[in-house]
Amino acid sequence: MSDLYVAVVCSSNMNRSMEAHAFLVKKGFNVKSYGTGEKVKLPGASADRPNCYEFGVLYDEIYNDLMEKDKNYYTQNGLLHMLDRNRRIKPCPEKFQVCNERFDVIITCEERVYDQVIEWFGSRRSIYNQPVHVVNIDIQDNHEEATIGAFLISDMVTKMAQSDDLDNDIDELLHEFESKCHRPILNCIMFY
Amino acid sequence: MSNKHGHTSNTTVQNQLIRWINDTGMAEGNKKAGLLRKVIEVLLHQGSQMIPVYMENILSYISDKNTDVKKQVAYFVEELSKSHPELLPKIVAQLRLLLLDPVIAVQKRAIQAASILYRNTLMWICKGDAEVSEMKHVWEHLTELKLMVLNMIDSENEGIRTHSIKFLEEVVLRQSPGDIVDAESSLDSLPSDVPFINRKALEEESDHIFKLLVKFHNSQHISSVNLMACMTTLCSLAKFRPKYLPRVIQALGDLHTTLPPTLSQSQVNSVRKHLKMQILNLIKQSTSNEMMPQLTQLLIDIGMTAQEINKAVPKEKRNKRLGEIRNGDTPSKRFRIDSPQSNSQGSDSNSRSEFMYDDDSQSSITKPSATEDSILEGLNSVDNVVNLVMKTLQNCLPDNMPPSFINDYKPIPNSGSKLQKKNLTKMLMSLIRGESENTQIVTQSMEVDTQPPQTVLQQSLSDIAAKIPLIREDDEKTTLKNAVAKLQESTKDRQIESAVSKLMEETRQEHLKEEERKAKEKEKPVPPPTPTVPKLKQKVKLLKLQEITRPIPKEIKQKLILQAVERILNAEKDAAIGGAEQIRAKFITIFASSYTPETRDLVLNYILDNPAERINLALKWLYEEYAFMQGFNRHPVTLQPKLHEKHDQNYNQLLCALVTQISERGDPVMEGCKDVLLRKIYLESPVITDEALDYLKHLVTEDQVALLALELLEELCLMRPPRAHKYVTSLVCHVLSENEEIRDIALKATIKVYKRGSEAVKKVIEKHALLYLGFISLNHPPPELSSTRTRIMWNENLHKLCLNLVVALFPEKEGLLMEIARIYGSSGAEAKRVVLRTIEGPIRAMVSKDLPDNEFDEDDATLRPAFRELLENCPRGAETLLTRLVHILTEKVPPTAELVSKVRDIYATRVSDVRFLIPVLTGLSKREIVAALPKLIKLNPAVVKEVFNKLLGINGTYDEQSPVSPAELLLELHLIDPEKADLKYIIKATALCFAEKNIYTQDVLAAVLQRLVEEPKIPVLMMRTVLQSLTLYPALSPLVMNILQLLIEKEAWLNKVAWEGWIKSCERLMPASFGLLTSLPAAALGGLHKAPGLLGGLRAHVAALPPERRAALPPHVAALCHQTDTQYPASQVTMSQPNLIPEQNPIEPLPPGME
Repeated sequence: MSDLYVAVVCSSNMNRSMEAHAFLVKKGFNVKSYGTGEKVKLPGASADRPNCYEFGVLYDEIYNDLMEKDKNYYTQNGLLHMLDRNRRIKPCPEKFQVCNERFDVIITCEERVYDQVIEWFGSRRSIYNQPVHVVNIDIQDNHEEATIGAFLISDMVTKMAQSDDLDNDIDELLHEFESKCHRPILNCIMFY
Repeated sequence: MSNKHGHTSNTTVQNQLIRWINDTGMAEGNKKAGLLRKVIEVLLHQGSQMIPVYMENILSYISDKNTDVKKQVAYFVEELSKSHPELLPKIVAQLRLLLLDPVIAVQKRAIQAASILYRNTLMWICKGDAEVSEMKHVWEHLTELKLMVLNMIDSENEGIRTHSIKFLEEVVLRQSPGDIVDAESSLDSLPSDVPFINRKALEEESDHIFKLLVKFHNSQHISSVNLMACMTTLCSLAKFRPKYLPRVIQALGDLHTTLPPTLSQSQVNSVRKHLKMQILNLIKQSTSNEMMPQLTQLLIDIGMTAQEINKAVPKEKRNKRLGEIRNGDTPSKRFRIDSPQSNSQGSDSNSRSEFMYDDDSQSSITKPSATEDSILEGLNSVDNVVNLVMKTLQNCLPDNMPPSFINDYKPIPNSGSKLQKKNLTKMLMSLIRGESENTQIVTQSMEVDTQPPQTVLQQSLSDIAAKIPLIREDDEKTTLKNAVAKLQESTKDRQIESAVSKLMEETRQEHLKEEERKAKEKEKPVPPPTPTVPKLKQKVKLLKLQEITRPIPKEIKQKLILQAVERILNAEKDAAIGGAEQIRAKFITIFASSYTPETRDLVLNYILDNPAERINLALKWLYEEYAFMQGFNRHPVTLQPKLHEKHDQNYNQLLCALVTQISERGDPVMEGCKDVLLRKIYLESPVITDEALDYLKHLVTEDQVALLALELLEELCLMRPPRAHKYVTSLVCHVLSENEEIRDIALKATIKVYKRGSEAVKKVIEKHALLYLGFISLNHPPPELSSTRTRIMWNENLHKLCLNLVVALFPEKEGLLMEIARIYGSSGAEAKRVVLRTIEGPIRAMVSKDLPDNEFDEDDATLRPAFRELLENCPRGAETLLTRLVHILTEKVPPTAELVSKVRDIYATRVSDVRFLIPVLTGLSKREIVAALPKLIKLNPAVVKEVFNKLLGINGTYDEQSPVSPAELLLELHLIDPEKADLKYIIKATALCFAEKNIYTQDVLAAVLQRLVEEPKIPVLMMRTVLQSLTLYPALSPLVMNILQLLIEKEAWLNKVAWEGWIKSCERLMPASFGLLTSLPAAALGGLHKAPGLLGGLRAHVAALPPERRAALPPHVAALCHQTDTQYPASQVTMSQPNLIPEQNPIEPLPPGME
């Protein structure tokens, strides 16, 4: 479709980024997804006891683990379904801070994640001087919002892909998009 | 071993490389880029020793058309500079070319590569193991590159600017003295002995570029992305080169106070956020320790709380920083009171800003002469401050707390500190200086809490500017001359700038205000019809719509219309999802048919973009146009009536545009469904205009669509009967096509249409058929027959061409026969031949169609009316055709009485050719046949044979009784007057008879001979026939004897021919004939000398006779025998005798009189 190389980043590389990842892949984009959190965190039986995993643990393993813990409960809250979807997209959650890829656009799903991405860029020296647009769009971390968010991201990426000169158009493009989706957008340009 | 292996693998790599390089040369577009990429990868990673060999191949693509290819070249240059810096002298020039590329993407990539190259070049020079001249060469190029990029910071394109910023960052980093962390790639590492590099100059240059960046960073019209890129760059410079840190912090602070006015709210958010992130990043650096207070202050200004900041600061710095905060000597309480006031002025509540300048209480500071110091002094007095706050509380505070206040309010953490007081002073100062129209500035200042006011900012800018000329004086900085000049120019007029910066603030506020207003408007979806009373206590002013509005100019209106239509067109999917498809289609058709030509074009193009899916829309539109054309619909009065005076033109134009575009666009996607689309349009549109029809007719001559077009024409004729007579002309004309296939199809289709069509259609087809038929009677082929202008001559094919339609129609309408005959009559010989040949088939088919009926009652068989008419009124010159017709009619069935009589009439009155009679011979009376016989036998032998076959009933497929029996026929042949027919014809004719042994049996011949002999005058050929009969049937000898006898009585010797025959017969009939001979009178005997055999035989016979009989012989016979006795020895006679004497029939009785 286009040679735009896109990364979608959320906290745990589980729900929001994966939903968008799935959506964008279906649309034929060249896309990867990441998490920026310390650990992969999933809701547990109670709010104060989340299920935590290291990045790199397979979605399949998490799936099996939750299944063992409480199949009924995790089926009902949709976690198993989500993990099942995820493991069909890629093997395991990936941490953004350790990836070596160079993207054209990075889309974050939450301001905190955006901060972490910028921070990461700030912590290193640019070697290639290749620019990357970092764009944040706030998406709440639940199934419904993730789906809506994926739509929005897909819309945005489609617009970006259609642009002949993204560097030149991004200001206007995001401005338009923002007025359309009624969500605040943050963006900046960083260098690899 | 390993060496060998290595060698072979190298060879394979090399081979692969060469192949790819060759392929790259051949490939196009993305494939080319892909191949080039492979080549580069292999070269860099596997075959680095081959780089010098193939480098040129890759670099040559620098002028390729494809963007990706050129980007690959840039990548290659970049990588080479890293891995093979020794090649730098060769590649550095290439990069310059890329930088000048017209494609922006390539330029950007080149700038990126340039920054890498710059870094690597410096490192290469640092190593110092290259030739000085080479280094110098590279360096000069690099300096030029630098200058080019430096100028690009003013590019129109944002991306290029962004890249340039990054490049300049690299330059500044490399050209400034580093610290411990970054020693290897800084100015320090440059060898001091290189003659062309002046370290000091470089450092100054970098310093200068840094200033340029700062300047750019704080310019008013910078875009948000550039701004953030610049911010990042400045911060990273501050990080790695701490000497810049204060200036960077200054610049960031300046930015915070005066954001560019062009930014939208969300961009402002992004920028602020970025600013925060960058400062936080700076704080974490160990190098920023000394500037910590400034940084924290900046963060606080941005709106971070102490806790947040504390959290962000690394542990080892924390204590120190906190201590500083505690140093603030003024009680925080005081400033708490003040802060609500300032914080209430959120960016989104401008309406409340007015009260600030209404406040009379600040009389002491409203004096224009008030200075910063006096205000600061005033602020130091608690009473003054209390008064100020109290006044404000009384007069200016709103009744309710604005919601934005809750959001925006943040306690001032360092309230009461000197710094804060100073800031507050500056804010008040600017408030005082700015007159009433300057309120916005105040708002802005308040909004951003405690920030350094503009005056300071301006001061710092001018400081920078003041320093610049000094740098410029350096002679070695000529390379940067241009850039410096630019910078200098802008910094010189700082007066203007200060004014501008003021203005900038205003603009920004206005911009924000505008945005806010828009947002408000959005919240009220249905604005009240009359203006609402403004919330502010203003005088209520009633507004009249006409007074406050102006009509939109026509151009804009039209543009708006177009845009609206475009949006509707683009909403295809949305409409489908929302179920508004039908309504949308209706709208579009109305727009297209009723609005401006531009709208029409828009919709038409939209349809033609994807006709397969939008064909229904097109048809709907067609119907709409049709309705207008027919007057079923009327345009609204408001829609320019002039334009639509030609309704039918609109319909016609649309229809033609659709069909021509669809069939001629050549779009591969369309190609597949072209036939479906054309068929749909032609068959489903309400009416086919003449032009559209002509186009279809024209399509038949196009190779690819000819068949389709023909099919369409046929379908049009069949499916649209009311106008079929119009359409059919377009179909019919193709029966003259030069292409056989088209001709055949057209012909078949025409016949099909003819069969099913109405009378009108039939008439049209017939008219054409006759027209074409008429061509053959012309001297030269008419132009319709030749596709070229050149004159052609008649030939058989052309004749056939003209005939094909009429011949094909013939079975459907026999009446055409008459017309054919008429034209036939006036045509040339060649044309006639062709007509005869071509018409034969159809006539025969028609005749055979009749056969089954006639089998049952032959008597009722009547002539078809067409035939009858032709027979009755045969046009002049068409007799041959008539003959052929009659022939065919009688081929399978015997001629009917009617036919015979007609033929007879014609023969009698018009056609003198006897051949005309042949077909009906069997129907004629014996007398007539006999009368015609002399003529018949004169014909061509084959025809004669046919005639006889007919008359004799040979080969006849039907059972019929010939009016003349075989015997009569033969007899009549003999009786033909030699005057009328030459003897040889008669001989030939009789020969034919004799050939038919089955018919002319012994009995028949006997009867014939019997009759012949009865004739009063001996027929010329009688004796010949006798002889022949005898040869055929020797058993006839008794009869012959009898005949001979009778002939004696008739004194046959008087007839010379007959007598010769008679003697020959006698010869044959020896010895039985001797008796006859002896009875001959003397006068007759003379002829015997001519037959010596006979005479010899006679003598032998006489000699053998008993003496008494011999004595009884007449004396002349005896004398004859004696005369020649000696001449002819008896032995000789006996020798020949066996042949002559018919011994095979000894039992047969002798004829009467022989005993």
